[in-house]
Amino acid sequence: MKSAVTTVIAAADAAGRFPSVSDFESVKGSFDRAPARMEAAEKLASCIDKFTAEAVDAIYGDGKYEQTNKDKCLRDIHHYLRLINYCLVTGGTGPLDEWGISGMREVIRVQLLPTAAYIEAFAFIRDKCNISEYMGQQATAEFKTLLDYLINALA
Amino acid sequence: MLDAFSKAVVSADAKGAPIGSHELADLRKYVNDANKRIDATLAITQNVSCITSDAIAGMVCENTGMTQPGGNCYPTRRMAACLRDGEIILRYISYALLAGDSSVLDDRCLNGLKETYLALGVPLSSAKRAVEIMKVATVAIMTETNTGRKMFEGINSGSGAQCQDIAAEAASYFDRVISALS
Repeated sequence: MKSAVTTVIAAADAAGRFPSVSDFESVKGSFDRAPARMEAAEKLASCIDKFTAEAVDAIYGDGKYEQTNKDKCLRDIHHYLRLINYCLVTGGTGPLDEWGISGMREVIRVQLLPTAAYIEAFAFIRDKCNISEYMGQQATAEFKTLLDYLINALA
Repeated sequence: MLDAFSKAVVSADAKGAPIGSHELADLRKYVNDANKRIDATLAITQNVSCITSDAIAGMVCENTGMTQPGGNCYPTRRMAACLRDGEIILRYISYALLAGDSSVLDDRCLNGLKETYLALGVPLSSAKRAVEIMKVATVAIMTETNTGRKMFEGINSGSGAQCQDIAAEAASYFDRVISALS
C-alpha cells in the first residue's frame, strides 16, 4: 500500500541502501502534514453519511437521473468517501488508486450507472457542503485535493 | 508493504468502515513520536558496519572453529557472505522501524530465509547468535547505554534516553528474525 513512508522505503530497498538523510526529511515532511490530514479524516468519518446523503439528494432531486439508480449511487459515493478517508490517513493516493480507481470505469459502465452523476456528486460535496465549517483550513485543503483527484480520475 | 498508517487502513477496510477517532488516537501517537523514531533509525544507520562486524566477530569468537578449515566461515569468501547477510537483515530492520510495522521485514527478508540457510548449509544457531548480538548492540546504542562514547547524532529529539520505547520496538524486530530462523 503506497503511503509517504512506504514509497521512501521501497525506493531505498530497490537501491539496496539504508534510509538516507533525505529519506528522513521526506518522511518528516509527511509527518508535519499529518495532523491536518488526520483532522480531515476524523471529521470526514463523522460526517460521511451526511455528506453522502446531501450530495445524492441534490443530484437526484431534479429528476435528471433515473431514480432507480439512486441507492446504488448512494452506496458508491459512501464507498469513495471512505477511500478518501483512507487516503487522508496514509498521506498518499494508494487506497483510491488500488481499490477505487483501477477498474472503476468498467464497473460503473457495466452497471449502467451514469458517471456524470458521480462527478456531480463529488463536485457538490467539494463546493456546496460547507466543508470548512466542519474542519480547519489545512484539513479542508487536504480533503478537497483528494476530491479533485477523484473527479479527474472519473472524468 | 505496510506502515502504521496503511495497516490501519487495511484493517478498517476489512470492516468496511471509515477510520474514526478511536483508530486515529494510535496513529497520532505514532506521529508525535516521529522524531524519536527517526532518531532511533539514525542510531542504526550511523553504526551499520560497527553493529554487523561486531556481531559476526562475536559469533566467531564464541565458536573459533568457524574460521578454521572446514568451519562455516572458512574461507574468507564465506565470512564475507556472513557480514553481508548481517547488514541486509539490519537494513530491513531499519525499514521496519521507520515504518512502524514489520511487514517489510517479513515479506522481503524473512520469508524463505530459514529455508535458504538450510539449503546453503548455514548453521541456524550461529546466525541466530549473530542477530542476538546485533540486537543487544543496537538497543545499547539507541538508548545510549553503551559503554564509552555516544555513538549517534540524532537530528531531532537528541537524547537516547527518549528512545526507550522505540528501542523496545526495535528489539521486537530482532526477535522476529530470531524466531523466523528457529
